[in-house]
Amino acid sequence: MIAALLESFAAAARGLPLTLAIWGAGVATGLALGFVIGAVRFFAPAALSWPLAAVVEAVRGVPFLVQCFLLYFGGPFIGIDLTPIVAGWVALSVYGAAYFSEVFRAGFMAVPPGHLEAARMLGIPRNQAVLRIMLPMMALAVLPSLANLAVILIKETAILSIITVPELTFRVQGVGSATFAFAETTLVLALVYWALVEATAVASRHAERRIARALAA
Amino acid sequence: MSAPILSVRALERRVGDVEILRRIDLDVMPGEAIGVIGPSGSGKSSLLRCIAGLDEVSGGAVMVEGRQTRPGDGAVGMVFQQFNLWPHLTARENVALALKLVRRMPAADAAAKADAALARVGLGALGGRKPAALSGGQQQRVAIARTLAMEPRVLLFDEPTAALDPELTTEVLDVIRDLAAAGTTMLVVSHEMGFIARLSTRVVFLDHGVVVQAAPPAALFGAQAEPRVRSFLQTYLDRVAWARDA
Repeated sequence: MIAALLESFAAAARGLPLTLAIWGAGVATGLALGFVIGAVRFFAPAALSWPLAAVVEAVRGVPFLVQCFLLYFGGPFIGIDLTPIVAGWVALSVYGAAYFSEVFRAGFMAVPPGHLEAARMLGIPRNQAVLRIMLPMMALAVLPSLANLAVILIKETAILSIITVPELTFRVQGVGSATFAFAETTLVLALVYWALVEATAVASRHAERRIARALAA
Repeated sequence: MSAPILSVRALERRVGDVEILRRIDLDVMPGEAIGVIGPSGSGKSSLLRCIAGLDEVSGGAVMVEGRQTRPGDGAVGMVFQQFNLWPHLTARENVALALKLVRRMPAADAAAKADAALARVGLGALGGRKPAALSGGQQQRVAIARTLAMEPRVLLFDEPTAALDPELTTEVLDVIRDLAAAGTTMLVVSHEMGFIARLSTRVVFLDHGVVVQAAPPAALFGAQAEPRVRSFLQTYLDRVAWARDA
């Protein structure tokens, strides 16, 4: 039993770098994409906004597992033939973007119109008002929700093992398949993900405080 | 006789079937302080917002020195009930931002001008504070300084003390009074009747989007008040009487 646990931890250590890399990349592109989607849905006319709304609703309405299957196994039928790691990164980015975009959209809506009217009366151009006033005000409001979502996405990376991304879960489950020590490997998985989530949650709260201090009193 | 600095001509604003403002005519001479009073929903704020260009007009025109105004063209400055200070910037940065972005002043010049504007509203020492570290009255004075720094031809105050308690109200009203005494042309929407009576060269009473009466305060608050104005003022006078008798 001890041997199985140790072997599981070793496998986890081998899978951890890819889990972190794919998570980091997915969060980064998800944030960028989510910001663009949120901004378009807030600022652009309905004709541009509603197709994006439909996509966001679809992504939020379908389990992440099913999305991964669709992209990885269904993609080749329409000429999208991705390696597991790239497919995992794309899937995580799109999934994250859908949720991030809603947070950004809410952030834009949370800026009181009067703050922009004040800028308008003073002659500050609209793009400058968005850049200098709206975005900093919004950043404060959305930071906790974004950090929370990013932490949740760590756990979603486990699903990428299904499309053979050799990340943490894939590696540790490999030990389970080889040794039949499913209880031990699953326990290790639970402990490692929990530790990861706690570590990122602490780190994100720290980052949040620093950014908040930089932005406001 | 000089020309009016602000001319409102047959100004109309409709939203759907609702007539917010009905053919408002108003000429304001340089240096005048116009008090705008009336019941809630009478169109006072709408009048100011239409003059500012923030609300769309359905008819008529607003001219400052003979030119149609647009928001941000520097003709009209607006002070809002909710201050609308930008919370992530210090008082000085709030005042300096438009100087930098619109007037294209170098940062040091903008900061110096911002400090001068803050000094004018009695906040010379608090330029480094963020809005959250200021009282409501101080925040509104920063908002006034922010508008003053851009040197608009006409200043609009939209219920500038409605969000403040009585003590903080006084410090804001004192600033507005000083500006009026210095010859700033202004329109002030307020429910502070005593203040409006002392400040204004003329008082406009609005009801249901119509100017019921426009007259010097002595007339409008006195024996020459129209019946509708008199009934509106009665509640205020009752309160003052209660305070005097107590």
